[in-house]
Amino acid sequence: MVSKSKKIVALILTAMMAASALAGCASGSSGTTTTPSTPATTSSKTDEGSQAGGEGSTTEASKVEAANLDSDEVMAKIKDKMAEEAAATDGTITMTVWCSSDDKSFEEGLMKEFEEKYADTRYSFRIKKSPIGEDKAGGKILEGPKDGADVFSFADDQLAGLVEAGAIAEVANLFNNNVKAENSEKAVEVCTVNGTSYAFPKTSDNGYFMYYDKTVFTDEDVQSFDAMIAKAKEAGKAVFFEMGNAWYNAGFFFTAGCTIKYENGVQTATLNSDEGVAAVKAMCHIAENIGSGFEGDPGSAGANAFIAQGFKDGKLAAAVTGTWNGPAIKEAIGDANVGAAKLPTVLMNDEQKQLDSFGGYKLIGVNAYTKYPITAQALAYYLGKAESQVKRYNVRGLIPTATAALEEDAIKNDVARIAIAAQEPFSHAQGQSVAGKFWGAGVGGYGGDILNAKGKMDEAKIRKDLAKIEAKMK
Amino acid sequence: MDYLDYVQMTRSQQIAYKVKSFFTGIPNAIKTIFMYIGYFFKNLFVTIANGFKGYGQRFAAGDGATKLSYIIMGAGNMAHKQLMKGVLFLAAEVAYIYFMMSFGMTYVSKVYSFGVNVDPDNPNVIVDGVVGNVPIRYEIDPIFGNKIIANADTADDSNKVLLFFVLTLMISIAFFVIYIANTKSAYATQEMLKEGIQPVGFVDEMKTFLDERYHITLLTLPIFLLMVFNILPIIFTIFMAFTNYDKNHNAFNRLYWWVGFENFADVFYNSAEKSQTFGKVLVWTLIWAVFATFSNYILGIVLALLINKKDIKYKGFWRTMFVITSAVPQFVTLLVMRLLLDNQGIVNAMMGTNIRFLADEGWAKVSVIVVNMWIGIPYTMLSVSGILMNIPEDLYESARIDGANAVQQFTKITLPYISFVMTPYLISTFVGNINNFNVIYFLTGGAPESVDYYSGAGTTDLLVTWLYKLTVNEQDYKLASVIGIIVFVICATGSLITFNMSKATKNEEEFS
Amino acid sequence: MTTKQPNIGNMQAGYAKKRKIANIAVYVILSIMVLIWIFPIAWLVFQSFNGEKGVALATFFPKTWTFDNYIKLFRQEGLSDPMDPTSPMIVLPVDRMPFPYGRWITNTFIVAVFSCVISTLIILMVSYALSRLRFKSRKMLMNFGLILGMFPGFMSMAAIYNIMEIIGLGKQLFSLVIVYSSGAGLGYQIAKGFFDTIPRSLDEAAKIDGATRNQIFWIIILPLSKPIIVYTALTTFLGPWADYVFVSYFMKGDDQKYTVAMGLYEMLKPETMHEWFTVFCAGAVLIAVPITILFTIMQRFYVAGVTGGAVKG
Repeated sequence: MVSKSKKIVALILTAMMAASALAGCASGSSGTTTTPSTPATTSSKTDEGSQAGGEGSTTEASKVEAANLDSDEVMAKIKDKMAEEAAATDGTITMTVWCSSDDKSFEEGLMKEFEEKYADTRYSFRIKKSPIGEDKAGGKILEGPKDGADVFSFADDQLAGLVEAGAIAEVANLFNNNVKAENSEKAVEVCTVNGTSYAFPKTSDNGYFMYYDKTVFTDEDVQSFDAMIAKAKEAGKAVFFEMGNAWYNAGFFFTAGCTIKYENGVQTATLNSDEGVAAVKAMCHIAENIGSGFEGDPGSAGANAFIAQGFKDGKLAAAVTGTWNGPAIKEAIGDANVGAAKLPTVLMNDEQKQLDSFGGYKLIGVNAYTKYPITAQALAYYLGKAESQVKRYNVRGLIPTATAALEEDAIKNDVARIAIAAQEPFSHAQGQSVAGKFWGAGVGGYGGDILNAKGKMDEAKIRKDLAKIEAKMK
Repeated sequence: MDYLDYVQMTRSQQIAYKVKSFFTGIPNAIKTIFMYIGYFFKNLFVTIANGFKGYGQRFAAGDGATKLSYIIMGAGNMAHKQLMKGVLFLAAEVAYIYFMMSFGMTYVSKVYSFGVNVDPDNPNVIVDGVVGNVPIRYEIDPIFGNKIIANADTADDSNKVLLFFVLTLMISIAFFVIYIANTKSAYATQEMLKEGIQPVGFVDEMKTFLDERYHITLLTLPIFLLMVFNILPIIFTIFMAFTNYDKNHNAFNRLYWWVGFENFADVFYNSAEKSQTFGKVLVWTLIWAVFATFSNYILGIVLALLINKKDIKYKGFWRTMFVITSAVPQFVTLLVMRLLLDNQGIVNAMMGTNIRFLADEGWAKVSVIVVNMWIGIPYTMLSVSGILMNIPEDLYESARIDGANAVQQFTKITLPYISFVMTPYLISTFVGNINNFNVIYFLTGGAPESVDYYSGAGTTDLLVTWLYKLTVNEQDYKLASVIGIIVFVICATGSLITFNMSKATKNEEEFS
Repeated sequence: MTTKQPNIGNMQAGYAKKRKIANIAVYVILSIMVLIWIFPIAWLVFQSFNGEKGVALATFFPKTWTFDNYIKLFRQEGLSDPMDPTSPMIVLPVDRMPFPYGRWITNTFIVAVFSCVISTLIILMVSYALSRLRFKSRKMLMNFGLILGMFPGFMSMAAIYNIMEIIGLGKQLFSLVIVYSSGAGLGYQIAKGFFDTIPRSLDEAAKIDGATRNQIFWIIILPLSKPIIVYTALTTFLGPWADYVFVSYFMKGDDQKYTVAMGLYEMLKPETMHEWFTVFCAGAVLIAVPITILFTIMQRFYVAGVTGGAVKG
């Protein structure tokens, strides 16, 4: 029995390798994500950041040719498979899809389209949506994959855990080729773990940049945090940066040059170093202004409600956040007044340095335990394909990952998209940097400590605290 | 020290004496508990020994049919003119054997290794030929080329193996009880026939379930439900504390395995960060429980006394105003409180301050205790109001005749009466506060975080909220169940000690 | 009386004055406390009438007043074609509502009614057996129940869910009924305390008349136990309206099967809080009103129950 199962594993591994190699060798032209020229900053960008940003485009994998999934032959193949899978459950395909609760029925609309497209007399669909957001989906799947949704949207940093647990299905070659052909290389890279694709890219806006009120700040002002805080203070308003949240304040550590990496299931972070101390001091420098030009803690209502309310009440003039707050900010101060830019620079070691960020993706995954492996993949592909991404942008304003979609005029000129693109060289992929114990290690809580101390911390304590945080990541 | 000495002391000395005797009483109470535990085990062993003795004696003294019923259940009853009962015993035996052969044995044999696994770290070498072990099997889809799980429904799942093992265990125990009852019944009917008494017929025996054995009728369903949905899951969860079940050793793909006392060792001394976090959370849990319990208790009594003061009018109105607040579901009021106490919330706005009530560790700890007072005082007030109404009026009458003034009446009658009646309530509130999930989870969610705490735990987390977070957010089931067991041990010993020290519980029969 | 003994009269007058001052002080203290206790509830009620969406933390009275938040609980609008942002708005059917509050109320009501009936029966059965019947394992059962009650409630949540899955109740509302009522047997103390106070002579007399224990339970004891039945029924009925933990773990995101507590809590998720906070307040007020009425009625039973139970241990 031992030998048997080991053989199976070996076989699978070989097959996997062969499959991925084949996929990699297929010929095609390359099309990287657009990287518009970024406004010059006074800081010299650290090498690491740009390397991480460039990694995607330097890999030898080139674009694959997309198959025409709508051709009669392929369509018949897929439908046959669906019929086969449906037969096991008396001809009805009952699936659950998890997605965020504020999607305004958009995803359900896509599901309807999918049902119509693949309708057949041999089976019927019963696909329903449940509101589990991208932030929670991965964890909820891990609670018990057999009880989880068949198809789910999730944030890219959850992918490694899902793969390790064997809870997420490999993407079938047929769809994978198209995914690779349609989407930006960086997006494809994020979906890949050890050479195998496990997810379908959905949106490229799971990162943050800065929204600001154009009536308060000029394009010049938004270059540096210090200038913004000074200007906001003058106007009796504030700049918001959620310092007590590791997802945001990790940017300071990246900027300072700390290595934060997640490789082969191991989390490493060199926070307890001169760089780490510099990062904390830079945070302290900003936190000193708390209450006068700067806000760092959204409080009990949560960041989203805080930002929306802050702009509405005129208390906030700028906020570091993502596209999900765009509509609320636009509603509060009017479309024309909303500006978006890359993050400003921060004062670090007496130098203005560009603040780094996480630039992430939202992905669609298929449960490894689904009763309908191919049907679920077809649905996941449909939800994530380029056309759907454009529709999603039109209805919900979420930024696509597909290269063709990004070329559309409306999307190309979207302020948020431009800001994301400008921030991209300074953004880091979560899957490759913080998928392990980073979140539980108290980086976020430490930001809260800085706010509590109003930025007054001495170096000895900082070093001690950083050592503790670093130890917890192991 | 006798009563006279005590009365002659000053008030402060009396208090000091009471406090002292409380603490000097603790060792004694602990001793009593151990004695109880000792008695419990002694009784248990005596019962078991007697059981075996009786079992053997009955066999020796039994006739052929009785002896046969040691192997074929119900044989004795059938031979001794209790056909129906005998058939039922036999049916139970057949059903049990069928259950074990078709189902139970598989899981008993699997529980050692939790099924086959493909994890190279798993120390359980898969034994060839173990019946029914099924690993997850992957297949490459012939058309689409992707890897799929081919046997999701039939592959081994550690959770199922453990759960069914516990189920088999419980069914076996239940069967054993029936089996012993069978041997007893066989022997009893044999003796009856010997003495010329006709054994009761089936219908008549059934009728006793409505009278002499009515308690069995009443308690069967409740106990059955408790067995399946409380005890079975608890045993399952306790077992889990001895495995390495977490998100890296999950139940369904890589499987978990037994690790003995490793998790307990981690929590107590082995892993510095786990044990330190556990220590801190434990200390805060106890501090919280003490403050939350006594603040509610004392202020609840004060409020009840105010409302029930003789000349105060509209008592019903005052009471209702406070009770209304507890009618709104707790998660709502607590979320509202969270917003009111926000840095920019209305409390700060009204006071013109900028206090970080829930974001600063010290403030957060004070805030949760204060908010808990808001939640809990109405309950205490209601209970105390009831007690105050129940105090016999003649006690006061005779006190007045003895010339006691209002203050004396209060300290000599009201207070002792309340504290006497409320002691069990106090204990249950204390246990309830150790387990008080709502206030912490909805108010602070355990925040603020601290670099000194192990992943997931925050500075206002109680053991139970930490347990919840470990289960839901971290999927660290092994640690969660260790924490659960510890919470149980704390609550059980704590309340046993106090129950022993207060005499209130021993008077059950006297009152009726 | 006062004319003959002026000294005492003065003393009494002084005493009366003192008492008056004391009473006024008590009234003032009580009023302040009531204000503190009512304040959060009032804030919640006012926010539910707030015409502007968003979490207006520092305001007490809303700037504009509206009843829309209550209407929005039952009538939610959305695009007629979710794929087309320019399509007209329509009233959404229940299964397309982002927050189907009406459905949640129905769910909670169903769960509450079932678990109320089952739990009340179980509690009465157990407490009667433990209070008025004497049998060998009685003490042992009581101690065992006490110990069992000390395990944290949701420690074995994951295991219970597994059992529900196996018996085919996974993600079903009925699994909640079972969870809420299966543990009812442990909550016998208060009802037992009540039964303990009913004189034993009643049982004895009935026994002499040839009544079985079954008949005594149904014909003699239960009719005397109205207060405790009402109390038990009300507490068990109210339980499901406030539980969040089990629903969130058991329903795995199926929002058509949420109960009202879980559903309301969902409205406060980061992505929807700004939009839905005032609606949340309305939803909370709406369930609080009937519960408050029930609770006020229940007050005297509660007092009787708690103190009776406390005295009798």
